[in-house]
Amino acid sequence: MQYAIETIGLTKTFSDWWGRTKVYAVDDLNLQIRTNEVFGLLGPNGSGKTTTLKMLLGLLYPTQGRSLVFGGDGDDPKINARIGYLPEESYLYRYLTSRETLDFYGRIFGLARRVRKERIEALLDMVGLRAVANRPVGTFSKGMARRIGLAQALINDPDLLILDEPTTGLDPIGTRQIKDLILTLARRGKTVLLCSHLLADVEDVCDRIAIMYGGKVRAAGKVADLLQQADRRQITTGPLSDGAIGRIRQIVSSEETDCEVTAPMERLETFFIRIVSEAQAQAQPTSGAVSTTRIGDFLTAGQDQRGVLDALVRSAATEPTPGSVLPTVPAGGPIESPQPVRRDVLDRLVNPEEGSGDGNKQ
Amino acid sequence: MHRVLAVASNTVKQVLRMRIAVVFVLVLVVLLPVMAYNATGDGTIKGRLQTFVSYGLSLVGLLLAMLTIFAVTHSATSELVHRQIYTVLTKPIRRHEFLLGKFLGVLFVDVLLLAGLSAVLYGITVYAPRFMEVTDEDRMQLQNEFFTARKGLVPKEVDVSEEVERDYQKLVTNRELDQFFEGVPKRVVIARLTQQKRLEKRAAAVGEDIIWEFSDVRPADPNGSLFVRFKYDVSVNPADLQVYSQWMVGDLRQLKTGAQVTTPIYRVPRKDLIRASREFEVPAQVLARDGYLAVAFHNEVLNDTAVIFPIEDGFEVLYKADGFTANFMRAVIMVFVRLLFLAAMGIFAGSFLSFPVAVMLCLVVFLTGTVSGFVLDSFGYMGGHLSLIYDYSLKLLVQVLPQFDKINPTGFLVAGRLIPWSLVAWTAVVLIGIKAMILLAIGLWIFRSREIARTTV
Repeated sequence: MQYAIETIGLTKTFSDWWGRTKVYAVDDLNLQIRTNEVFGLLGPNGSGKTTTLKMLLGLLYPTQGRSLVFGGDGDDPKINARIGYLPEESYLYRYLTSRETLDFYGRIFGLARRVRKERIEALLDMVGLRAVANRPVGTFSKGMARRIGLAQALINDPDLLILDEPTTGLDPIGTRQIKDLILTLARRGKTVLLCSHLLADVEDVCDRIAIMYGGKVRAAGKVADLLQQADRRQITTGPLSDGAIGRIRQIVSSEETDCEVTAPMERLETFFIRIVSEAQAQAQPTSGAVSTTRIGDFLTAGQDQRGVLDALVRSAATEPTPGSVLPTVPAGGPIESPQPVRRDVLDRLVNPEEGSGDGNKQ
Repeated sequence: MHRVLAVASNTVKQVLRMRIAVVFVLVLVVLLPVMAYNATGDGTIKGRLQTFVSYGLSLVGLLLAMLTIFAVTHSATSELVHRQIYTVLTKPIRRHEFLLGKFLGVLFVDVLLLAGLSAVLYGITVYAPRFMEVTDEDRMQLQNEFFTARKGLVPKEVDVSEEVERDYQKLVTNRELDQFFEGVPKRVVIARLTQQKRLEKRAAAVGEDIIWEFSDVRPADPNGSLFVRFKYDVSVNPADLQVYSQWMVGDLRQLKTGAQVTTPIYRVPRKDLIRASREFEVPAQVLARDGYLAVAFHNEVLNDTAVIFPIEDGFEVLYKADGFTANFMRAVIMVFVRLLFLAAMGIFAGSFLSFPVAVMLCLVVFLTGTVSGFVLDSFGYMGGHLSLIYDYSLKLLVQVLPQFDKINPTGFLVAGRLIPWSLVAWTAVVLIGIKAMILLAIGLWIFRSREIARTTV
């Protein structure tokens, strides 16, 4: 089986002036990342994540071992043509405008002028920087630079997206958009390697993760398998009377286990996006990046197998829907949020003799 | 190729948006007209234009050389420092294409600026006389000696090695060596004797003659003119610092045979200031059909001093071979070739050195090449073992690097001398081209082999 990324005994050491090995940055790393997988590479600062990425991309040479990307070398132009890479910081040409920046990268990929133009406009829309497209990126805030960094990584409609700390410097909306984008790309058959130490981001989008420390993988596997507490259960309901709560406690006690009943908290990310959505709906002015409905159209588009950017270009040609400035807080969208249990299901749970007995677990 | 061009066009934007490029251009655009107005030279119109062209072209060449060094090393190294290269080299571009793009981008800026500034320089030079008070004599002098591209014939150096060896042996036999050259190595004694002998061949005692002969002289216009250019040195300064002379120009073989004279022979009596270049004009019809030409100098008795024609610029016969415009263009091409070498040098240095070190290396090479003649001469004055060490180290290095002072086109333009295409081609291919390409190739190889990212743990 050909993996999107495979490392075989990949090792990188750093030596002092006399050639004596001082530090193992990456130590005998064996990774296999399948195509159409969102893989998270986690670890604290200095654990070897970025060094691994740089070796994958041919920016550093391994001391030992080998890394394969789509079965070839990461610095082979044929392989590079299928990769989109966002480094840990958006290293941009300060004297170029956003549009010129994307045009430069598009030219390196040999994209025709017309395709380049379409993709640039669509990507500028997507990252919400169309209004400042002719401003030198040297004047951008960190978050805006990050958005252009992301756009340059997508200009070639890559099969493999390598993202190193993609949400650094982004506001929650930008973070959310990147996560939605990752999931959308994954649905379209792309492979994503996400390198981060922001655990919530990784947890939301990754199929599998590996946790590195001291250059070695300390744990790896599917997110669900690693995090699921098999001996615990959680039930979320709508409003309940004290009586109903008491009955639930009795049921749980009869199962000889403990039970905690609290009002669930909304996720701060969800709450924040809702507030900003409302402000944007009221057309409050801002000098920062402005998200548009086109992002939403793009990210929530159907599951057809066309190139993401083709869909992006197509959506760019449509008029925005009035009132829906941001992508709506998901209800069955890419990222699941807690939802109320239906009343009839709850009734059956509280009065087991009236129904079949199984609750709706989430 | 589209990848190379993408990097090149990005580099052009980088250089043009660097304030340093703007400053360079502004300095030149302001300075050139000011220089044209203020240049005085020797007080004549020709002198003013000579001074302007000399300083103008040198300044354009120097500032563009500096700009090239700074721009190319900055462009090649800043991407590593600011890490934009991470997002470029992870795209389908090979490393040598990236560096070639940088090289071509800076060269394009050079072409752009050099073309623009040369046009300004040329325009001012050609049109300035229209705004000056010019006499007919001045105009004639300008046309003959400045707005022209003349080819120069210099006498062949006579082989004096046998005579020198004989003189040396004589000194040894007569035990006079220590008397005249105490403690001087043989190599230096021979050099001094050779110099002395050569000057003797170019010296005329009181009442004596010197004859120079040339063959195959073919001026572009057979009805044009020949210019005999000379400079006197003397053993004893005359009271009025003037030398009286009789010159004869033409096919002097006709006088020897006594046959009928078919081509004219000109006799030119002169009185000229010593240690100053002077010239007189004779029709090109004096040339024999086979291209033979003889020029004879007679040192008049009343001078009471030997007259010597210095080896460097003592005697020359000039004739018009091309126009000023074509010559000016060749000069500009030679300046460009120099920039091409510096761009290759910058790529080489930037491929493995940091920006300040790379700039320093390029500046050292450039400045050493600009005064290479002086540097090489100074090695000649060293004695003993020290000289041997320098011969096989620094001297070798200076000789391997381009010697820019030997291919400086400004001197040609100022003197109205033809810059032959052969010199341009030789400069482009041998002196600069091959060396530049070797440096570029080494730079590309180093860049291809090195790690791009800096390792951080």
